[in-house]
Amino acid sequence: MTDLTERERERVALLEPADSAISLNTDDEIVPMWKQRLRIFVHNKLAIASVLFLLITVGSCFLVPLFHPTNQTNQALTFGLPWNQAPSWHHWLGTDSSGFDELGRIFFGGEYSLTLGFFAGFITIVVGTTYGMISGFAGGVTDTIMMRIIDAFLSIPYIFLLITLISIFNRSTVFLICIIGFTLWWGNARIIRGDALLIRNLEYSQAATAMGARKWHIIRRHVFPNSISNIVTVATFSIADAILFLSALGFLGLGIQAPPTDWGTMLQAGTSQIQNGFWWEIYPLALIFILVVVSINYIGDALRDCFEVRLLER
Amino acid sequence: MFAYVIRRIIQSFFVLMIVMLFTFSLPYFQTHGIVAPAYTVLGTKATPYNVAVWAKQHGMDATYFHRFWTYSTQVLFHFNLGRSYKENSSVWGIISLYVPRTIWLAAVSLILTTIIAIPLGIYQASRRNTVGDYTATGVAFVLYAMPNFLLAMLLLDAFSFHFPHLPNSPPQGVQAWAIFTDPVGFILPVAALTMLSVAGLSRYMRGTVLEVLVQDYVRTAKAKGCSGRRTLFKHAFRNALGPIIVLLGLSIPALLGGALIIESVFNYEGLGIQTVFAATNLDLPTVLGITLLVAILTLLGNLLADVALGLVNPRIRIEGNSR
Repeated sequence: MTDLTERERERVALLEPADSAISLNTDDEIVPMWKQRLRIFVHNKLAIASVLFLLITVGSCFLVPLFHPTNQTNQALTFGLPWNQAPSWHHWLGTDSSGFDELGRIFFGGEYSLTLGFFAGFITIVVGTTYGMISGFAGGVTDTIMMRIIDAFLSIPYIFLLITLISIFNRSTVFLICIIGFTLWWGNARIIRGDALLIRNLEYSQAATAMGARKWHIIRRHVFPNSISNIVTVATFSIADAILFLSALGFLGLGIQAPPTDWGTMLQAGTSQIQNGFWWEIYPLALIFILVVVSINYIGDALRDCFEVRLLER
Repeated sequence: MFAYVIRRIIQSFFVLMIVMLFTFSLPYFQTHGIVAPAYTVLGTKATPYNVAVWAKQHGMDATYFHRFWTYSTQVLFHFNLGRSYKENSSVWGIISLYVPRTIWLAAVSLILTTIIAIPLGIYQASRRNTVGDYTATGVAFVLYAMPNFLLAMLLLDAFSFHFPHLPNSPPQGVQAWAIFTDPVGFILPVAALTMLSVAGLSRYMRGTVLEVLVQDYVRTAKAKGCSGRRTLFKHAFRNALGPIIVLLGLSIPALLGGALIIESVFNYEGLGIQTVFAATNLDLPTVLGITLLVAILTLLGNLLADVALGLVNPRIRIEGNSR
């Protein structure tokens, strides 16, 4: 790193200490933005590990039951079998208190937990972004009223809000997705609105306005691309939050109703027998659950880093 | 300062009105709409005529806005949170005994969180990127990713079943002072709730203190020859206090939500258990009443935090006066 110009040295200083190994673009070739971002993301070893772990988990949840189907719904078939069996060659993680194969059940419950988390997170980000953009762009009285509405919903502790809605509407999986998705976006909307407000008042947006650009054009060309970092980051955190809140509902018995199950309900079933020493019903699933949420959160952190403009080469 | 407080109170009042509008409107979305309680009282085979008569007797035939006016004035001036037709009692009558108990749990945890998280944040920020910082961050990351009930259950298993035999559940007396008959039973629930909120807050605490530590005045203090500890506590801590108070105020909903789970795990009779019971019992008025009450508690907590913020940060109250 001896023949770097002063400006390049500054960039290196910004990348220190963790990211100093990223090769600098010393010739004048223009590297597309997404490639540079991808490079920063790939450079983050823990983020790659998180992505791999998530891929493996999601893949096995959806694929393994296809190749190795286990009975997870018909209790009549498990009736004669011994329950709460310790792990054996036949049942790698033992059986649960209903006689279902625990490993197969982790995959089975994972399908519901992960699907719900993903779709709820998706709804959250669509609704939150739209609301935040409208609020930030409308300004004035509309903005104030829209933000007071968000304040109102943020002042209701989230789990109370969920329980309230669940005791009114039914508890099918689709409704759970909608209920969690349509109520988890308050915080996101606030963040996006802050972004919209900030970017709308920056010079380039004002210049575009002065040149006769319509609001929709400014949103599309300036505000949206510049707030994409927050949108993506917040989306990943929303998925993790949705999975966590679904597990809390499962613990309270208000989650996905049997015969399907989710990780929260399974953990509740496992921990209710904690004193019997049936470790295989708690710890493997707990480990997978925590690792999934940690990796989603970590990917969120890494995404925020790779959208951080200061880390980019140009 | 006075004008600032008044302005915040008016703002909170508007927010409260929106919350009330929400809790008031939800029953319209039930299966039978707002007359659903009629089927609880008169039985599921009640004729439409009987239902209509019952609805008229209970003022349910009035217009939406008239009913909302009655509802909001009842809440604001008589603190009437509604009536549970399942229990045939006023909602406040059902939950009043449990309110102090939940406030106890939340308040003690909030105080402990403050005592633990602020020094932890200062420690992590001042020893940034050391083993201690990484350990604290890692533990917080895992605790934050853990379902609340799992942490509580593991604590229960470790400290009530295996190692020191702490009581697995606090005293069951419903009076607020019943806790003091056996304070040891209070340890595990409070510890679980405190750990959860410390995990949620410590990252923000670290960031807040870190942001203050790189400010110019901290560098100036160091340049003057101020000792490290003096810089930290006299200059950095004072200025980090504002954001920390905001964070604590914002953490109140999470704290009350966590209290719901913790109460269910440790069988701590409080608002949370009552909510879950009412929800499984399909007792909507009670659920809505508790939700409204908890929202009011949160708003009060946020108001207090804002007033405290005005006290520590003169800029805010002056800005409040000028508007």
